[in-house]
Amino acid sequence: MAFVQIRDMSVAFGSAPALRGISLSVERGEALGLVGESGCGKSITWLAALGLLPRSAKVGGSVLLDGVELIGASPSVLEPVRGGRIAMIFQDPASSLNPVHRIGHQIAEALALHRGLTGAPARAEVIRLLDQVGIPDAKTRANAYPHELSGGQNQRVMIAMALAGEPELLVADEPTTALDVTIQAQILDLLGTIRRDTSMGLVLISHDLGVVSETCSRIAVMYAGRIVEQAESAAIFANPSHPYTRGLLGAMPPISGPRQKLVSIPGSVPEASRMPQGCAFAPRCSEAIADCTRVDPAAVTVEANHLAACIRATPAKTGTRTPERVLA
Amino acid sequence: MTASQMPLLSAQDLARTYSIRRGMAGRVTNVRAVDGVTLTIARGETLGLVGESGCGKSTTARLVLGIERPDEGQVRFDGAPMPGSGSPGWAALRKRMQLVFQDPLSALDRRLPVGLQIREPLEIHRMGTPAEQNARVAEVMEEVGLQPHHADRHPHALSGGQRQRAVIARALVTQPDLLVCDEPISALDVSIQAQVMNLLVELQERLGMGMLFVSHDLRAVRQISHRVAVMYLGRIVEEGAPDEILHAPAHPYSQALVSAIPHPGKTARRIVLQGDPPNPADRPPGCAFHPRCPVTAMRCRTETPLLKPRPSDGRRVACHVAQGEVAPGHVGQLELS
Ligand SMILES: Nc1ncnc2c1ncn2[C@@H]1O[C@H](COP(=O)(O)OP(=O)(O)OP(=O)(O)O)[C@@H](O)[C@H]1O
Ligand SMILES: Nc1ncnc2c1ncn2[C@@H]1O[C@H](COP(=O)(O)OP(=O)(O)OP(=O)(O)O)[C@@H](O)[C@H]1O
Ligand code: SF4
Ligand SMILES: [Mg+2]
Ligand SMILES: [Mg+2]
Repeated sequence: MAFVQIRDMSVAFGSAPALRGISLSVERGEALGLVGESGCGKSITWLAALGLLPRSAKVGGSVLLDGVELIGASPSVLEPVRGGRIAMIFQDPASSLNPVHRIGHQIAEALALHRGLTGAPARAEVIRLLDQVGIPDAKTRANAYPHELSGGQNQRVMIAMALAGEPELLVADEPTTALDVTIQAQILDLLGTIRRDTSMGLVLISHDLGVVSETCSRIAVMYAGRIVEQAESAAIFANPSHPYTRGLLGAMPPISGPRQKLVSIPGSVPEASRMPQGCAFAPRCSEAIADCTRVDPAAVTVEANHLAACIRATPAKTGTRTPERVLA
Repeated sequence: MTASQMPLLSAQDLARTYSIRRGMAGRVTNVRAVDGVTLTIARGETLGLVGESGCGKSTTARLVLGIERPDEGQVRFDGAPMPGSGSPGWAALRKRMQLVFQDPLSALDRRLPVGLQIREPLEIHRMGTPAEQNARVAEVMEEVGLQPHHADRHPHALSGGQRQRAVIARALVTQPDLLVCDEPISALDVSIQAQVMNLLVELQERLGMGMLFVSHDLRAVRQISHRVAVMYLGRIVEEGAPDEILHAPAHPYSQALVSAIPHPGKTARRIVLQGDPPNPADRPPGCAFHPRCPVTAMRCRTETPLLKPRPSDGRRVACHVAQGEVAPGHVGQLELS
């Protein structure tokens, strides 16, 4: 069974459905990319799984961590998971580092909380972690305040804090979006190195298919609170089977070849309170047929390990066995 | 030089230094945001300006529009020196040069319907009768792909793409000769970015204006521009045709930028630059890129390379090594830290 198995998870704020049935699984040591445009529900998928949404959010469905249910679980179940077995780097780094504490102190707190380390061993571990994430002169820099570091360095500190609990899975929510391109390359490189060295799993959340494709072996594409396609990264690019995925790929300007008009997706993302009938993408979809506005499409297997939630997606020939993992 | 050969815009050796006060002691530091930028834009041409945060792109945009005065250097628009900001001559020129900003929501007044806001420049510059103004607003809205009924909507009742279209419509309503777009797509969703890029390319081809397209996204810059200038710490370090720069970057910094573009199925190794982006208040001597450069040679630490055509193929690049003036320095530099 998968390390994390999300089944039919839903989240609603008031009457607005923000997640409308997410099924997704993450294997041990796997790097999964979660992509989609602003507001499609990438962040709340993981906030809900870890019980971090405000009480006003109605959460349904199931999230199993190694077979243990997390939805509705008691604090004694959730606390060792958060920051321990599953660490999350939140989208807004400014809100996650405390400006009035030295960074070494903040990492030490995480070490005390998750591993019971204090005193000299904790100090040594802080320096090892800062070293691991590539902060030069870690001994001195441990005494710095967040504002004394660059954006890229603060992001490294966030990663060090996440690693403090020796997590089995790291959920990194847009860890490079606010950073310059050359610094983004450094951070992605770092995440790859850490994964190789620790066999930790990674969920990389991003709006950028390009960023995710280089780091992750599998990709799930979200639209309006649903996962509309998931497959191995190579298959997403070789055989995109949901029109929205094709739209995202077409919208990315190529870096070689003739310069042509981009295939853009008309219109914009629907609001949660005004979700269209049938397939939520239908009003923007160039391939929509009459049924698309009536039937909310279920995910079909287009080839092994490749699911698409589009009624026009062509199912695999009979006989292709679908591994349990993607069926989730 | 005949009028048709004369560039629409030419900027020569622009420099701009800001004095900022730091901390309680109020120590003043000088930030040389733009340090000797020379560029030209012809009618019907789009120049893409790329570079990382703080390298001086927006400052360059303000200088070429005359919104700010350069400390050194000169801007010429349509052959004549740029009048001082706020002068009557400048105010009259503003209708011929317009600016589109990054965030459409903050560029628009939330209390007013967008139709009125699109019309506003016509009123400011007293262009046409009210009836002519109505007709022009309707025309420009159609040009940018807005529906007539959108005119009555407030900004928050439009989608992100529609808002940026409204901002572009307002910039185009006076039929400017020069359009400066400062990160016009960065705040937009991916699918909307493509809509706006298509629109800018199409409008530029149809209306023939000159355009300065500022972005940190090399893919977008390639899509839109006829020529690309790469900026690093206040200077243009390389300039050329988009595909020359993307496929055979000459400057080590351009090489790193190009190799950092994420793309599916990438096999080439990424050049991961060591170190942080530089601080413009503490500009390294010599080539400002030398502390991060994988091929720094001795001369790079002391002598600032000039932007000039390189002997081998005429590419304009400011680098001692790319120019073939010195041999590449120790490549082991890459593995530092
Ligand atoms: N606390 C909340 N109360 C009400 N609505 C919320 C709350 N948190 C999130 N939402 C809504 O849920 C939807 C999904 O939000 P989420 O933050 O998961 O999007 P996202 O895919 O991470 O987007 P982005 O790329 O902008 O980070 C959005 O429409 C958002 O406005
Ligand atoms: N009005 C100002 N006062 C003081 N410093 C300024 C001012 N405007 C810009 N700067 C500084 O000048 C440098 C260049 O800034 P500029 O905004 O031109 O960069 P940019 O390339 O547009 O960056 P970004 O990609 O982040 O928009 C920065 O260090 C910035 O902090
Ligand atoms: S001049 Fe020297 S330091 Fe600067 S980019 Fe060229 S090789 Fe690197
Ligand atoms: Mg988010
Ligand atoms: Mg700027």
